[in-house]
Amino acid sequence: MRISTNQIFDLNIRSILENQRGLSDTQQQLASGKRINKPSDDPIGAAQVVRLTEELDKLTQYQRNNDLLASSLEQQEAILRSINSSANRARVLVIQSGAGYTTDADRKAIGAEIEQIRNEILDLMNSQNEQGEYIFAGFQSESQAFEFNPAASGNKITFSGDDGTNQVQLSDSVTVQSSTSGRVVFEDVFARLNFSLSGSAGITVNQASISQQGTFDNFHKDNYDPVIAANNEFRLTVIAGNQIEVSNVGTGAVVDTLDFQSGQTLNFQGIEFELEGTVGNSVNFTLNDPEKKNIAETLNDMFLVLTTDGIADGDFREAINDVLVGIDNGLAAIGLETSSLGGRLNVAQSIEETNLDLEIANKTARSAIEDVDYAKASAEFAKQETALSAALQTFPRVTSLSLFDFL
Amino acid sequence: MIRSTDLFSIATSGINASNRLLNTTSNNIANVNTKGYVRERTEFKSQLVGGVDIGTTERVINQFAQNQLRRDTTQLGEFQAFKQKTDGLDNVLANEANSISTGLSEFFAAIQTSSDDPTNLASRDLVLSDGQALLRRMQSLSNFMLDKEQELNLEFESQVNRANSLIQSIGELNEAIIVANGNARFDAPGALLNERDLAINELASLMSIEVRESPNQNDSKVVNLTSGESLVLEDGSFNILELGGDADPTFKQLQLATSFTGAKQNTTLNIFEDQLGGSIGGLFRYRDEVLNPAQRDLGQLALAFTDAVNTQNRLGMDLDQQLGGDIFVAPTFQGLTYDGTDPNLSIVGQITQGAGSTLTDADYKITVTSVTATNLPDEVTVELLNGDGSPKVDESNAAIVFTNVLINTTGFSELPNGLEIEFDSAGGYGVGDEFLIQPTRRAASDIEMATNRAEDLAFALPIRVDADLDNLGGATLVATEVTNTTVDAALGGQASAFDGSGGIHDFTAAPGGAVGAPVQIDFTSATSYEVRDVDGNLIVTVTGVTDYNNLLEQASNTAGWPAAFSALDNYPGYDFSLEGEARAGDSFTIAYNTDGFNDNRNALAMGDLQRANTVQLSSNSNSTPRTFHEAYASVVSRVGEDAASADVSLQAAEAMFADSTEWNQAISGVSLDEEAANLVRFQQTYAAAARILSAAQDMFDTILSVAR
Repeated sequence: MRISTNQIFDLNIRSILENQRGLSDTQQQLASGKRINKPSDDPIGAAQVVRLTEELDKLTQYQRNNDLLASSLEQQEAILRSINSSANRARVLVIQSGAGYTTDADRKAIGAEIEQIRNEILDLMNSQNEQGEYIFAGFQSESQAFEFNPAASGNKITFSGDDGTNQVQLSDSVTVQSSTSGRVVFEDVFARLNFSLSGSAGITVNQASISQQGTFDNFHKDNYDPVIAANNEFRLTVIAGNQIEVSNVGTGAVVDTLDFQSGQTLNFQGIEFELEGTVGNSVNFTLNDPEKKNIAETLNDMFLVLTTDGIADGDFREAINDVLVGIDNGLAAIGLETSSLGGRLNVAQSIEETNLDLEIANKTARSAIEDVDYAKASAEFAKQETALSAALQTFPRVTSLSLFDFL
Repeated sequence: MIRSTDLFSIATSGINASNRLLNTTSNNIANVNTKGYVRERTEFKSQLVGGVDIGTTERVINQFAQNQLRRDTTQLGEFQAFKQKTDGLDNVLANEANSISTGLSEFFAAIQTSSDDPTNLASRDLVLSDGQALLRRMQSLSNFMLDKEQELNLEFESQVNRANSLIQSIGELNEAIIVANGNARFDAPGALLNERDLAINELASLMSIEVRESPNQNDSKVVNLTSGESLVLEDGSFNILELGGDADPTFKQLQLATSFTGAKQNTTLNIFEDQLGGSIGGLFRYRDEVLNPAQRDLGQLALAFTDAVNTQNRLGMDLDQQLGGDIFVAPTFQGLTYDGTDPNLSIVGQITQGAGSTLTDADYKITVTSVTATNLPDEVTVELLNGDGSPKVDESNAAIVFTNVLINTTGFSELPNGLEIEFDSAGGYGVGDEFLIQPTRRAASDIEMATNRAEDLAFALPIRVDADLDNLGGATLVATEVTNTTVDAALGGQASAFDGSGGIHDFTAAPGGAVGAPVQIDFTSATSYEVRDVDGNLIVTVTGVTDYNNLLEQASNTAGWPAAFSALDNYPGYDFSLEGEARAGDSFTIAYNTDGFNDNRNALAMGDLQRANTVQLSSNSNSTPRTFHEAYASVVSRVGEDAASADVSLQAAEAMFADSTEWNQAISGVSLDEEAANLVRFQQTYAAAARILSAAQDMFDTILSVAR
């Protein structure tokens, strides 16, 4: 082929420029450590990097959420643990006060201590977090959760929050409850379920009290009708053959038939009766409406009983029974919440570990896509460098040849 | 043997010939660096009567090599222009500082941080500033593309001007060549031909052309576009290119105009820009295939994001205990008029609230098909268009057209796919008026913050559901849902039960006026419940309940639910679900979430938008939308693909161009070595011819001396 003078120059310059371009690309990859420096270097890879970076950003945020959640749950756990130990101390004092030898003075002394414990527990129920938010107030965290008003009729300690609970996002699909409403932990606790006598026709009641609280509780739960009050009244009627028939006043249904000896004790669903009467006589008792009392309220009741002079022994015993059941129910609710907190902490921890694994996996994937393989790039660089220096070296030799020099 | 010429004449013709050869050689050497120069060669014939003729000088050229070079120039021009522009966008997208994806991640991370502690004003502020930063990222990217579009229009203009002047000079050179040919019968006018070839080649780098010899055999050339339209005609007359734009004046279209003078009527002709080839075609292709779709995808993403966040915020309650408002201001779009429609007529469009996820990247061509007596449109036809004006097609490749779309004479009317429009001139519309609305084109530049108050972030839900403390059953709340918070005292179709002043409608405010909105549920057994309003009035009793999901929705499907409630789109606009077993006497109360500062339910829902599929993929409503990040990733990936494939095409075009340049150079390029050899050779022939003369002189002298 015929080669014109310009061709000789063009060809050489073109190959030098091409080599320089390749060298500069490889140099950029080596300098930035990245194989993808602009989307066109690997369009699919660039899109994947966008997605993986998003995943990693999300995981970072989830870990931050997790840390916050853990600290807030641990704080709640600590509060509940404090309440638990205080309530247990109160329980010991209550039992102590019921011992037969206590005098009014002893009771007052115990009452003073119960008052302190009540205050302590009330204070814990109104705990605030580092932002000054009331932890157990639900959504209305700016206002105090529990108000104490000694002059109020009925419950002296009232909950002024709501049922609201917050969730924290720990992963794409998992949210974990980060707060609990004081209504659930403290307020939604049954006081001792009880009954009261409601009229008698010919029967003398020597004694009527709950001897087995658990049995009675079951009976109460199964039979209490919150809608029709009459269904809560039961009648014990003495019938022929030394028997007594228990019937529901509202529905008329016969609930049970028991053996009866006048003046002897009989046991019906955890209630111990000692009745005197003849055939045809009857006595009524009514299931009391279930009451809910928080643990501070229960302790306040105890404090009032202990500081009241001249209370009858029977009433005092009943009061102690009420308080013990109240404390136990309160502790059960706290125990339930504590185990739920522990469960949530476990979930948070296991998700944290999963997130860490995902983070490593995603980082590896992203690195595999966008990071440069130094060995490969260095080898490529050396190759291009050799080609360029060869082109540069041959250029002057090829172009300096001219026939004119020889004429 | 008829040689009758004497030695003197032969010698003279030989000297002349050598002289001419040296001349040609010198000219070749002198022009070795002249652009477009084609080496020349002089050829002679021996004369019948002896001696050599005066010879002809011609260019050494191969027509096929030349044509190949021209085609490759066109290719190279197209891909160079396309690649250079696409690279610009590619580089901008590569820049971390412009990454919408990072902006989105930061915004949603700020929402989550804030939802972990919803009363913290500092973290709320961060949400707003990250939102602002995201808007800035969108703006800078969108503004970059708008700038590019403007630049592109200027470039179109200068390139078209260049093309027109080339077309003109080719026509003029044609005439000059005919004249020169007439004057010099033997030599071709090499300089003029070179110049014309150069002009043709440059024109070929601007657009794809075909070149033919004139049928008149007068050495002039006819030039036309590859698609057939004539540019240069044989008699030296020519047509020129013009830029215009229908409806959107910034969207340039190319037309071919005749340039007749005198009585003949001039006409214009539309050209398919995408098939134009060359650098003009490359620029048009860049605009239509890369820039416009990227602009619209970005706009679509921005609008979908704005609408999603606004809609979610509107469902919540802010720190001032008001129902949430907008966080971002979604822009309104002024429509453009097509040619033939009175440009003073106005049409505006905006995104239908809450319909951002149905929005596509389409432009809307709206044609009025019916008007009222007051000349206001009441029915239109809507065509969905691509950015380049071609119709959008559905899955079966049919153009997407909605006919007989009814229009309200006042206020906005909803069109398909999330757009609503209003004809806001006082009247004067006519059937056949055509308008263009481009919702997504500039949207990413035009979105602004609607609020700078961190309190306006509605992280709480406006209602809370409380279980009565005396409940004996085990039913607990699992989900509260708010779907509509529109405050409308006039009770229009979209009204919700919220009164806008921290309450829920009682019977005086509620539709129908008999009972208020439902706020209380009293179980009468585990499988039945009564729904009551705020004053305790019974609304409806639901029986035969099998699950406690969406208790109010179940109530609304029960006979006795007020017809006035059902008549509205979504009333009351909230609902809740329980799980567990309720007992008779259990009661649940819905109340406005007064003082519910610590509530983060709506913030969580807002954070969920990051994973929600909210950006529509195509105009087909059956397709599953994508997340914000996926939508952005696909923009990046598509521009990257365009740039990468342009790079490959450009390399191929460069290789082909190099190849055909080689071919041409091999034939037509000057070789100095060859010319050096020629120089020596022709010097020797000159000396030889001169020697003949001196030989003749000697002979003559010899004869003379003999005679003396």
